[in-house]
Amino acid sequence: MPSEAIEREVEKFLFKEARLLDDWKFHEWLELFTEDVHYWMPVRTTRYSRESKAIAVLDRAHQRVDELANEDELAIFDETKQTLNMRVARLDTGQAWAEDPKSRTRHCITNIEVEEGDNANEVQVFNNFITYRNRLETEVDIFVGRREDTLRKEDGDWKICRRKIILDQNVLLSKNMSIFL
Amino acid sequence: MLDPRDLVDTDNWLISRKLFFDREVYEQELENIFARCWLYLGHESQIANPGDFISAYMGEDPVLVVRDSRGKVGAFLNTCRHRGMRVCRADAGNAAAFTCTYHGWTYGNDGKLVGVPGYKEYYYEELDMEQWGLVPVAQVESYKGLIFGTFDASAPPLREYLGDITFYLDKILDRCEGGTEIIGGVHKWTMPCNWKFPSENFLGDSYHFTVTHISAMKAQSSNMPSNIAAVRGQGFSTSPGNGHGIMIDWPNDASRPILGPPLMQQYNADIAEEMEQRLGPERANMRYSAGNVFPNVSFHVSPSIRIWHPRGPDKIEIWSWCIVDKAAPPEVKEAMRINYLRTFSAAGTFEQDDGENWSQCTESSRGIIAQRYNLNYSLGQHQERTSEEFPGQIGPRVSEHNQRYFYGRWVDLMAGTSWAEITNTITK
Ligand code: FES
Ligand SMILES: [Fe+2]
Repeated sequence: MPSEAIEREVEKFLFKEARLLDDWKFHEWLELFTEDVHYWMPVRTTRYSRESKAIAVLDRAHQRVDELANEDELAIFDETKQTLNMRVARLDTGQAWAEDPKSRTRHCITNIEVEEGDNANEVQVFNNFITYRNRLETEVDIFVGRREDTLRKEDGDWKICRRKIILDQNVLLSKNMSIFL
Repeated sequence: MLDPRDLVDTDNWLISRKLFFDREVYEQELENIFARCWLYLGHESQIANPGDFISAYMGEDPVLVVRDSRGKVGAFLNTCRHRGMRVCRADAGNAAAFTCTYHGWTYGNDGKLVGVPGYKEYYYEELDMEQWGLVPVAQVESYKGLIFGTFDASAPPLREYLGDITFYLDKILDRCEGGTEIIGGVHKWTMPCNWKFPSENFLGDSYHFTVTHISAMKAQSSNMPSNIAAVRGQGFSTSPGNGHGIMIDWPNDASRPILGPPLMQQYNADIAEEMEQRLGPERANMRYSAGNVFPNVSFHVSPSIRIWHPRGPDKIEIWSWCIVDKAAPPEVKEAMRINYLRTFSAAGTFEQDDGENWSQCTESSRGIIAQRYNLNYSLGQHQERTSEEFPGQIGPRVSEHNQRYFYGRWVDLMAGTSWAEITNTITK
């Protein structure tokens, strides 16, 4: 089990990350990711459970019960460091109209759990988010979900090397996803 | 009933803003357009096996698209005939039968009512079960993997409705042995805009690209030719009838760089010969960007296909899929999946900026003063031609040519013109 000191470090790291996003410090935010990061937010599909009696299944072999898309299926984000850089470069152009005027965001991070990672220099971090976004006059979006992060210690600093974002929506209740979660 | 000719001036190509927010216009569209036209339901690969089903919408009506136990594709209104409960509440799955969770009526995957709790004790066997199956969609047909349906029994057959857009659709659907398939999952999102703004945009708006999407193009410059004229191409817009349309970037140079990774580019070269054998040289060498099948199904070279579901005069729900050649190597499919989702899904670097436009165009049409000022659809008027090689009325690449044919068809349908009398049908 990671020590309480590590838990505290991770917590501070995630809070700082949230602040950088809310302050539009995207270049500093990018530095929190490793070069090999996979930043992923799969789509979800509403399905009946295995036990459901709402349908009489014809062919179990073709009944799928998992809501989350697989890695080779659709995702809202499926990013590498290079494409995250590109997204930030887009915001820098002064012509990324969906974020000009900017979104007002507040990333609230809770329920942080730190567990051992697959490698000695890594930890697995579960955390929930409530991200409020307000834009232009009255546009409001509230994104709620969970992140499964893998943090890696690189040259003494924690960095995110994998982020899986599980957004608790089927139809995305927003006109876009122009912010980061 | 509204006379659509009061709203669309087809001589000067001025269009009333009422089209984009007015409740009365919208209700008439549901009746005269969405209840009559062939609408896209899904791809055959999504229901490949007996019992497979997907949920879909036709206009605002939920429908269930099912491959029955014998392998036949059907589509039914997804509402119980007893009290109207939704019969299936999942997006996809596999079923022999669906049980309504209100009182328990059970429907087979062919839509037949097969079970009624208390049929003897409470109904005294007086219910004619034959009469109370799910409401079938009047006509269901496929075109090369794409399943369409219409609630109008008198609508012309699908092939006739699609007309010459099939010449162009084949470039997507029939360029390889085995046809196409859909990558798993659907992008669904909502947008506060009228359904016609995105439809007309994918149909024919080459004008917006270099302004709306300039940030994405700059950021992706490694993949993009820096010269904007090169991006826009030397192609044309074509309206091959019935309100459909497509934009062709390069009529005879498929080797031009595309918006996408080198692997996609390479793949196009790899299949060039097969494509030419199947489709002939014109289509093999043509490069399209996007198009729309009237009223609300758009396709894009990213590669993707999507529906702009109407949800009121000022709201839509977008459903978008990645469509790939079934026979493409896995790494090519992967490149296509990634390219599409990073550019043209809800978080897509191109898509985001489109939505900003469409929602604000809708919102700002509300003001009573704004309503006095019609929108201008005259770009490139009087530049029409036809071609020996390419079907349809052809307009300049950057023009509102396709949009004019779209709204021409819109006027005809909104006026309640019968299928036999519709005038906007253009054939080469
Ligand atoms: S509403 Fe379906 S059984 Fe009553
Ligand atoms: Fe666009």
